[in-house]
Amino acid sequence: MSIQTTQLRKTYNQDTDFPVHAVKQLDLNIEQGEFVAVMGPSGSGKTTLLNMIGGIDIPSAGTVVIDGIDICSLKDQALIAFRRDNIGFIFQDYSLLPVLTALENVEFVMQLQGHSEKECRERAIALLNQVGLGDQLHKIPSKLSGGQQQRVAVARALAPSPRFVMADEPTANLDAKSTAELLDIMQQLNEKEGTTFIFSTHDPRVIKRARRVIVFEDGQLTEDRVQ
Amino acid sequence: MLIKLAWRNLWRNKLRTSIMLSAMAFGLIGVVTMIGFMNGMYGNMIDNAISWQTSHVQVHHQGFVDNPEINLTIVEPERITADLAKMSEVIAWSERFIVDGMVASARSSRGVRINGVDIDAEARVTPIATSVKAGSWLPSEGRHPVVVSSKTAQRLRLKLGSKVVITFSDADKDVTGAAFRVSGIFSTPSTSFDDGNIYVRRSDLMAMAGIEGSHEIAVLLDDSNSMSNALAIMVRDKIRLITSNENSVRDWQQIQPMLASIIAQMGPSNAILLGIFVSAMGFGVVNIMLMSVFERTREFGVLMAVGMQKHKVFALIIFETSLLGVTGATLGLVSSLALVELLQITGIPLGNMAEGLGAFGVDTTLYPQVAASEYRYIFITVVLVCVLAALYPARQILKQRPVDAMAEKH
Ligand SMILES: Nc1ncnc2c1ncn2[C@@H]1O[C@H](COP(=O)(O)OP(=O)(O)O)[C@@H](O)[C@H]1O
Ligand SMILES: [Mg+2]
Repeated sequence: MSIQTTQLRKTYNQDTDFPVHAVKQLDLNIEQGEFVAVMGPSGSGKTTLLNMIGGIDIPSAGTVVIDGIDICSLKDQALIAFRRDNIGFIFQDYSLLPVLTALENVEFVMQLQGHSEKECRERAIALLNQVGLGDQLHKIPSKLSGGQQQRVAVARALAPSPRFVMADEPTANLDAKSTAELLDIMQQLNEKEGTTFIFSTHDPRVIKRARRVIVFEDGQLTEDRVQ
Repeated sequence: MLIKLAWRNLWRNKLRTSIMLSAMAFGLIGVVTMIGFMNGMYGNMIDNAISWQTSHVQVHHQGFVDNPEINLTIVEPERITADLAKMSEVIAWSERFIVDGMVASARSSRGVRINGVDIDAEARVTPIATSVKAGSWLPSEGRHPVVVSSKTAQRLRLKLGSKVVITFSDADKDVTGAAFRVSGIFSTPSTSFDDGNIYVRRSDLMAMAGIEGSHEIAVLLDDSNSMSNALAIMVRDKIRLITSNENSVRDWQQIQPMLASIIAQMGPSNAILLGIFVSAMGFGVVNIMLMSVFERTREFGVLMAVGMQKHKVFALIIFETSLLGVTGATLGLVSSLALVELLQITGIPLGNMAEGLGAFGVDTTLYPQVAASEYRYIFITVVLVCVLAALYPARQILKQRPVDAMAEKH
């Protein structure tokens, strides 16, 4: 079980006079259970990369193969179902549904998978307890702090039991304490359940904790080290 | 969950949703009251026409229909009345001896239709006896009583007890005349009817004319549905079976084809009213849904990113617009129902308009009528239009890929 990219390329504004090469000819292999930090300055193409391997953006060229499936060739419906069952996203701005409570936000993605209401409720509560929000279940996102929202987003990403979690600058808006707590949770899950975490960051505190660091510059891989 | 989400999304912008719902509610109140007013007016017009003029079924001699000649009396009327007596649908009938003639006072004279009626029978078939405003309905005793309309009384300067002379051509085409005394003055909802009709006893008229018989048998049925002539047609056909085909038997829509065309145009004209409203409302809903969907483009991107299938995203948007429609329609129709119920008690006084409408046989106070089926029809139309109005914004969103949707600024 792995993610493999071959000759992956993404060019924005391709047909104009000013094409932007966000990702250039990238060959990458990430195995199940890895805990990977994609590091690089702003604008280096981290988000673009995560979106492509997470199947919410399509490459200009090259392929993304997950568990032997070329996800770029999947039809809309199949791709959405694939994401739903295999990939969790933690967006930089959390992107929680503002009209649903913390609990409902987490339940919702599980319900999309067709689990029973009871199952969804139990797992959602367990996850929210795990991220330390057991007492905030019924608050809507706007009543929660940034750190708390981020943790709801983590619980939501984990709820459908994905094998890969894409986290785009997950700690960008968090203080030192929240950052440490979040990393603890992710590391714990990674070790206990073998969930693969891939996060983009330029936060040295996060990079310290990663086991593999991919350095990205101007859309190109400049360093790939295991620490 | 989807419905819960849709309902909460609907109330994200409380002000906007409230404004739209109020617009729908007030619009619907307007439309429903208008439809109720039209139904009430036309229904009243038809009811009045049936009760005063056409009854449900009428029998004449074929020739009398085109040319009301005094000699063209109904063939064997007693066979018809004997049969009518056996029909359970028949409430009453009236045999009339009708001639066109003149009524003259010392001041002036007017051409009128002189209705020779059997006092009790006529009173059972039309509301004439109860519409006598001064004096009384034709008495069975006394010499040559006549009942005239207040309009005729005014024109001829007649009072109760005044003497008039009635003249017409008798069976031998000789002019015959006699003096009558005004015993009562009536007035009906139709000014044109009032203008042209006076009532005397059939026996008095037959004696003057020198022939017996009747020119018209008007039949009143036990039928309160003024929008359909089905029962009238049934009775009409029964009578046709037993009577000579020299007689003409017609139901009320044949007697007054205008009534049939009024009924026929009510549906379309109500539909046009509703159509105008729902188109206006439709554009409002398109606008609301466009705003509400496009300002959440990013959110829909996220939903698709976390694995919400497109048909579910589509369903979510359709639920939102349906809930808007159902809520608006319910609010509007419940308020309309309350208003219509209230107006059915108080009535709508027509005021100055009554005079103009009087010519068409409309009462001076209207009671709006809206059928349950019309409420249902309006409800369904409103919800349907809301759903249609959301199709475009929904399609636009579904065309996007998650990242593009998420990249959208709002
Ligand atoms: N939708 C887009 N349209 C055009 N250019 C884009 C788009 N998204 C990103 N880019 C460009 O691609 C490059 C990489 O962006 P991004 O992947 O967001 O980098 P990072 O996440 O490392 O900051 C940047 O130069 C950015 O301006
Ligand atoms: Mg980024």
